[in-house]
Amino acid sequence: MTIASDIMGSILHGALGAPGASGAALPAIEAGPWWVSLIPALPLLACILCGVSAAMRIKSKLPAWITVGCLGVSFALTAAMFQQLAGGRSVTIAWEWINVAWTDSGGHERSLIANFGFYVDSLTCLWMLFVTGLATLIALYASEYMSHDVGTGYCRFFAAFGLFVFSMACLVMGDNLILLYLGWEGVGLCSYLLIGYFYKKPSAVAAAKKAFIMNRIGDLGLALGIFLAFVQFGSVEYKVILEAAQPWLAAAQAGHFDEIPATVQLIPILLMIGAFGKSAQLPLYVWLPDAMEGPTPVSALIHAATMVTAGVYLIARTYPLFLVSEYALPIVAWVGALTALVAATIGMAQFDIKRIMAYSTVSQLGYMFAGLGVLTSTGAAFHVFTHAFFKASLFLSCGAVMHGFAGQLDLRKLSGVGFMKGWQFVAIAMLVGCLNLAGFPFTAGYFSKDMILAEAFVTPHMAPIGWILLLTAGLTAYYTFRVFFRVFVGPKYYEPGDEVHAHSDHGHGDHGHGEHGHDAHGHAGDHGHAAGEFHPHAPGWAINFVLLTLTVLSVGAAGLYFLGDHGGWVGKMVHASSANYPPIVDLAAHSGEAADAHAHADHGAHGSFLGMDPHKVMYYVSGIVGFVGIAIAFALHYVGRKTAATANADKLVPLLGPIPKLAQGKWFVDEVYDLLIVKPLHLISIVFAYIDKLLVDGLVNAFGWVPRGVGSGLRPLQSGNLHSYAVQMAGGVAVLLLIVFLASIAGL
Amino acid sequence: MDHLIHPIALYLGLALVGLGLCVALPRARVSPQVIGALLAAGGLGVILVLMGLKAQGELPNLYFYVFSLVALGGSLRVVTHPRPVYSAIYFILTILASCGLYLLLSAEFMAFALVIVYAGAILITYLFVIMLATQAPTEDRTEGLKSYDIAAREPMLATVASMALVAVLTGMLFTGISGLEPRRAGASHDALLAQLPRRVEDAMKDASAITFKDRIVERDGAFQIDIENRRALVTGPDGERWVDFPANLAPRNVEALGFNLLNTHPGSIEIAGVILLMAMLGAVVLSRRQVEIDEEAKVLQARNLMEGRGAEGQA
Amino acid sequence: MGTDLFMLAQAGFPEPMGGATLAHYLLISVLMFAIGLIGFLTRRNLIVMFLCTELMFQAAGIALIAFSRFHLEHSGQTFVIFVLTVAAAEAAMALALVVLLFRKRESLDADEWTEMKG
Repeated sequence: MTIASDIMGSILHGALGAPGASGAALPAIEAGPWWVSLIPALPLLACILCGVSAAMRIKSKLPAWITVGCLGVSFALTAAMFQQLAGGRSVTIAWEWINVAWTDSGGHERSLIANFGFYVDSLTCLWMLFVTGLATLIALYASEYMSHDVGTGYCRFFAAFGLFVFSMACLVMGDNLILLYLGWEGVGLCSYLLIGYFYKKPSAVAAAKKAFIMNRIGDLGLALGIFLAFVQFGSVEYKVILEAAQPWLAAAQAGHFDEIPATVQLIPILLMIGAFGKSAQLPLYVWLPDAMEGPTPVSALIHAATMVTAGVYLIARTYPLFLVSEYALPIVAWVGALTALVAATIGMAQFDIKRIMAYSTVSQLGYMFAGLGVLTSTGAAFHVFTHAFFKASLFLSCGAVMHGFAGQLDLRKLSGVGFMKGWQFVAIAMLVGCLNLAGFPFTAGYFSKDMILAEAFVTPHMAPIGWILLLTAGLTAYYTFRVFFRVFVGPKYYEPGDEVHAHSDHGHGDHGHGEHGHDAHGHAGDHGHAAGEFHPHAPGWAINFVLLTLTVLSVGAAGLYFLGDHGGWVGKMVHASSANYPPIVDLAAHSGEAADAHAHADHGAHGSFLGMDPHKVMYYVSGIVGFVGIAIAFALHYVGRKTAATANADKLVPLLGPIPKLAQGKWFVDEVYDLLIVKPLHLISIVFAYIDKLLVDGLVNAFGWVPRGVGSGLRPLQSGNLHSYAVQMAGGVAVLLLIVFLASIAGL
Repeated sequence: MDHLIHPIALYLGLALVGLGLCVALPRARVSPQVIGALLAAGGLGVILVLMGLKAQGELPNLYFYVFSLVALGGSLRVVTHPRPVYSAIYFILTILASCGLYLLLSAEFMAFALVIVYAGAILITYLFVIMLATQAPTEDRTEGLKSYDIAAREPMLATVASMALVAVLTGMLFTGISGLEPRRAGASHDALLAQLPRRVEDAMKDASAITFKDRIVERDGAFQIDIENRRALVTGPDGERWVDFPANLAPRNVEALGFNLLNTHPGSIEIAGVILLMAMLGAVVLSRRQVEIDEEAKVLQARNLMEGRGAEGQA
Repeated sequence: MGTDLFMLAQAGFPEPMGGATLAHYLLISVLMFAIGLIGFLTRRNLIVMFLCTELMFQAAGIALIAFSRFHLEHSGQTFVIFVLTVAAAEAAMALALVVLLFRKRESLDADEWTEMKG
């Protein structure tokens, strides 16, 4: 309690103590232009049109072009929105959705207003830019990737895709928590639908259910948080809530958390649970790796770039609420850091390249949360932004490999893909993505990760988090390049996966068990092979175009860092939004000495990195850590590797004892959950089943048995004989009359 | 009850009647019907005599005793006679005697309606059904009595139950009668005459109070009949004038009944009509002989009819 | 009253009737009802059973008419008309049923039919 209070108090003292540097009051809210409503409406239109196509049994790529078209227009509108509205705050009300007013028992006028209104500020623009942009690109990619499903699941895929973008737009653009919740559940639903896209595969169905149920746990927290926010602030609209939180900020700044009502402090903790579920943080992260059962474009868009960042968005959007809570941000920081570390260690030991990417996603999300927790919402948002591009390109590269090698994802069965004919673009995209992820100097990932790392050391009491994140950065570099060195370079070799699909231009893809690939010279990737054997098919123009675009964008994202001061372009965007917090150090330290000095002057408890200024030294430290990671990967997985299945790393495995086994088994978290939660629940449910059967059903059945017993007792009276009925009737009438008679005599 | 008959005497008499009825019911071997009838009649006689003694000035009409004895005797025969045909005919006798009672009670219309509807229609239907449902005696089976007609079923139980009901009913009714006030005959019934201008005219003509050219004046849809002063405004060749009713002018039973039926219970008449219609439909449906035609035959028939060859398939 | 003793009927609206006279009629009505009930309970022939129900209707009719006379109110007689209606309807249905049942079993014994046994 006191420690946490101390931490938050000192943080906020530093944060809010610099009036000059602190963000000015948020700009006034204006009425937004009508066309903002089209941004979510167009994906919905695409979804409906895809549904219509499905109903009309269209057997062409029409749904994909519809979706790409609609999303493209939506992206263009987002760009226009960014051009015109970023920096200000505007609300566009598409239609009045919920508007009820009543008088409560205390005689107060209460109202619940939740419109289909779109709150546009720079944070919204930032998110929507990469959501719609990536969605457009990935839809284009999917048009080719999903081509073998044309006529069967194609319409379904794109309908869910459109619905997802619509939901995500509602989530990001909604001007109230209820609309956010609608979008939140909507993306959850689409995630479920798309993970379970191959619904004939039991593992996919199980993964879909797992994702849905895990998210339910988080969503409960979010729902409770929204309820509590409504109870506390009397509204679910951001404009009201964010204003209402302002007075508490002063108390938080002074460290007087006991002046802030406990309910106010509880709201962010509940919201946080929702964020942990959606963004796959400890302890709710286990659904995300399994979600890779879905088609790769889905993994790239939903489970890497956009949906999983909804938790980050939620916290950034309601940042003032988090600032007034004593525990919320420290918890966020610790959970994020631990998630980053745990996921990275698991990722090191996996062989399925898509799964490695999944764990790296969890790990990077942990970074973002840690960033939020150590008060650099700019860093978090920047990392979200860069991560969206490079992780999407990594996933899409893996997807291209998977697509080309019939579902093969095992890094022990693929090698030297980058040298095969037609795979150069994929290899380049992969390399750039890996460099970003590993934090190679002067890549976008390097800058964004750096911002978080530096801030972790700067923020008081958060140094342990910084160390954890630094370690994670090294691990990340290692496992990322492990994939690259194993799959994309080295001797050429492949074994096709078990999803060999008959392609018209490839003849019949038999399970050519890759024996021909053993000597691996000139075979692989060659389309002129004998019939009956497997040919990997190199990606077509759509995939290559998208990969190239994403590569360019992820390289270009680094440039954003240099646009403007205070965290670059993203910092500018974040500062103009509700996620703004008074700049403690952030990029002022790097871009302007004056601002740096100003910020530092006000820092009561400025942290340091081994006695040096983290902002300066972190560039070198993180760069070195990245290099070390890559070098280890190079040594263990490239040097001297002759086959796909073995590498130098194998020699190390026995030395580490049970650790590799445990890491490969994902630290057996799923099993522990099964043992601790699922099994006891199952036991309890068995007990309750018996209670239900014996007690509840027994009670209900008793209602049946009693009349039945009475009935069987009286049954002999129903002799079926007319006379006995007549006698009973006459006797009954006589008795009744007698009663009436006697009563009348008695004067009753 | 004491002013009508002493309760103990009543119940003793009823017990005697019950005993008689029980004895009179048909039995398989010896059936002392005459003794039973006499016992019952004795019991009834005792009750009636005792009641008559107490009634003093309120004795019923002498014909009452005749009709009631015939009615009860007839009904006893209905119940006890082993042959249904005879039961039905005795029932007609009971109806006729009841009609006599109705006449004594000034319900002439109902009396004759009863004869026509019950004796004339319903009982004839019964007789038809008895004819239909009872096989005529054939040569090898001369005795047409069925086993189920010969012996009554649990006569004791039935009699006890019924007489208990009678005891309670009489107890209630006789106790209740003392509290009843009969309605005095008076002007209220004459109000009916205001609705009957032609009847008033006819009565006046009969009494030569007006000529056949005179009419009762009708103004604003109301006939100018002054019930209180027993007179009516009449117009004719002699001009308008008030004419008094003849002294004996009073509404008749049938008129009063008709007004009561149609003015007071119009809905009930409709319901009665619906009940009769449903009964007719029900009777038709139930008594129709079920003809089994299998589906194929129906299809064949329909096809033949469609192709213009007649139901049997001839060209 | 003495002259009334031998008069069969009175035209128009008669003089009021005494309570004791009413009691006589009611006694007859109750006894006729009881005889009908006894018949219904003891006879096994379906047709006779229905005749007995008619007898009970008749008894009710006498009571209604007697009360009508006592109160000088015609509703009693009107109700006898309805009793008559119901009796006619009941006779039609019952006899149709009897015909139907007789066709199935060639018997009028009420004890033959116990299909509705519980």
